[in-house]
Amino acid sequence: MNPTPILVIFIGSIFTNNILFASFLGMCSFLVCSNRIPTAIGLGGAVTFVMTFTTAFNYLIYHYVLVPLHLEFIAFIIFIAVIAAFVQFVEMFVERFSPQLYYALGIFLPLITVNCAILGASLFMVLREYNFIQSVTFGFGGGLGWALAIALMAGLREKMGYSNVPVALRGTGAVMLIAGVIAMVFMGFAGMMSLQ
Amino acid sequence: MKDNTRTLLFAGVLGLICALALAGVSQFTAPYRQANEKAEEVRNYLAALGVPGREGMSSQELLDVFEENVRVEQLGEQTVYRYIPGSGSQAEAVAVAVPFSGVGLWGPIRGVLALGPNFTTIRGIRFFDQQETPGLGGEIGAEWFQNQFVGKRIVSAGGDPGFKVNKPGTPEDVNSVDGITGATMTSSRVEAILDNLAKELLKEKQSDVQ
Amino acid sequence: MSSDSQSRQSTALPVSRVKYIGILQDGVYRTNPVTYQVLGICIFLAVTTKVENALVMGFALIFVTAMSNLLVSLLRNTIPRRIRMIAEVAIIATFVIFFDQFLKAFYWDMSKQLGPYVALIITNCIVMGRAEAFAIQNPPLPSLVDGIANGIGYALILVLIALFRELIGFGTILGYTVLSPAWYERNILFIMAPGAFFVAGFLIWVLNFINPPKPAEVGK
Repeated sequence: MNPTPILVIFIGSIFTNNILFASFLGMCSFLVCSNRIPTAIGLGGAVTFVMTFTTAFNYLIYHYVLVPLHLEFIAFIIFIAVIAAFVQFVEMFVERFSPQLYYALGIFLPLITVNCAILGASLFMVLREYNFIQSVTFGFGGGLGWALAIALMAGLREKMGYSNVPVALRGTGAVMLIAGVIAMVFMGFAGMMSLQ
Repeated sequence: MKDNTRTLLFAGVLGLICALALAGVSQFTAPYRQANEKAEEVRNYLAALGVPGREGMSSQELLDVFEENVRVEQLGEQTVYRYIPGSGSQAEAVAVAVPFSGVGLWGPIRGVLALGPNFTTIRGIRFFDQQETPGLGGEIGAEWFQNQFVGKRIVSAGGDPGFKVNKPGTPEDVNSVDGITGATMTSSRVEAILDNLAKELLKEKQSDVQ
Repeated sequence: MSSDSQSRQSTALPVSRVKYIGILQDGVYRTNPVTYQVLGICIFLAVTTKVENALVMGFALIFVTAMSNLLVSLLRNTIPRRIRMIAEVAIIATFVIFFDQFLKAFYWDMSKQLGPYVALIITNCIVMGRAEAFAIQNPPLPSLVDGIANGIGYALILVLIALFRELIGFGTILGYTVLSPAWYERNILFIMAPGAFFVAGFLIWVLNFINPPKPAEVGK
């Protein structure tokens, strides 16, 4: 059992242990889709939604099906399958009930399936021995943290459009350096919650 | 329709083969993996208790040493580990190890505190799970930090249970150690965990005696 | 995968013109998975804190990419269209789990250090990318070589970055003290998250400077 209190997990997963700036998960989509704010926010919201629910499902499946049957070794495959199925389901749901959102998100929706942050959240949940409430909190907070990261980056990149960045540094290189500075800033949040 | 059947058949066969292959590998590696996992915890208890001759032992050997020399007991809500070297049920315990856990700066801190049989003198401590800043708070896992604890007590000179982790340079006490320069927050978190532990343990011991 | 990386990857080669050296060169430096295709960044940032970790992860990637490329290529005419990607993921996941299980059994300390990042090889765009772009269209032997080549390309970058980070951050290489603590003030920031990003950023800068990407692909 992990002794960390829920609130610490929640705030921690958004700031000090931000799933992107501290655990490096979800970088691929982050690098590609962080250049415009509306896209970034939309993707961030979708990732948060998927991360919360898949962490919950995967917890239940892991602890109530896999562990009792000593099948922990296929956990990774099951997790990915759950994520893929859930994203598929969300895609169908969004297409049916909000065609504008579906059109806006476009190819990004299926991309969420291979976003390592989503699988990573489930893996960390198992590794850190979270219970159910802790897992869901972590999934939700992690998603919010990732959304925050990509929104921040999108805002900065839009502003950067007016700057004179060296040619070889444009694009990925610049994003990395900026991410490094933001990571330093987020490290500063450590200890902001005082415990009894 | 033929296409569908083919798809299903392929999926089924591939799934089966993968599952069987993985089950096979899992079975094969199971004894080693499980020994490693158990030995992970056991290694720390043995280290804190000061059980000799642990260097370079394989996981299985460590588990055997643990079986032979350490008895697991309940003290109220705490599980404790009594180190009784040699055989014979009348042999006296040399040390008792108490596991503890709490929240550090970056994540949980877990460790083991080994005390003398009177539950007052510290024989050793191990912080085996922590995610503190490497080189700063992370030094709580280092030899030098942990060695400070040997010979200290979890009661003050006046007899009150408690433990302090002080700023380096502060005068020493029987129940204090120096914190880590530049890692004030980690040091204070560790202090909170150990102080709490000291009070809990001696409360139990008191009610035990009564 | 992002349409960006798709346009950079090599298309199917006619069997008669297959040149293994060419495949090797592509994978290792011409279209290096990390620096050129910008894939697999998550793992790259996380495990380059020590050279030892980078070596093990690099080996894992060579193993998984090579084996999954081989198997996908062998099955390329049998896999039904509709479940192509799922089948690829299943194959990749199986090899990753193999590796993870063996690591836990025989190299426990490393398994703990690498943590969840071994499992994340499954979602690593490189492995999936090679399967989709190369193995599904090419015969087994070239696919195997392509897998090994890309794996080596990735491993090289991992080790290179780890050399920097471990040296500047701890003063050691593979655990052996090179810069003695007596005079060298360890720069811990390089071991932590920001350091990873900075080193990655500078690496990409240098590489893009030496080998500029075509104008159409320069960042937004």
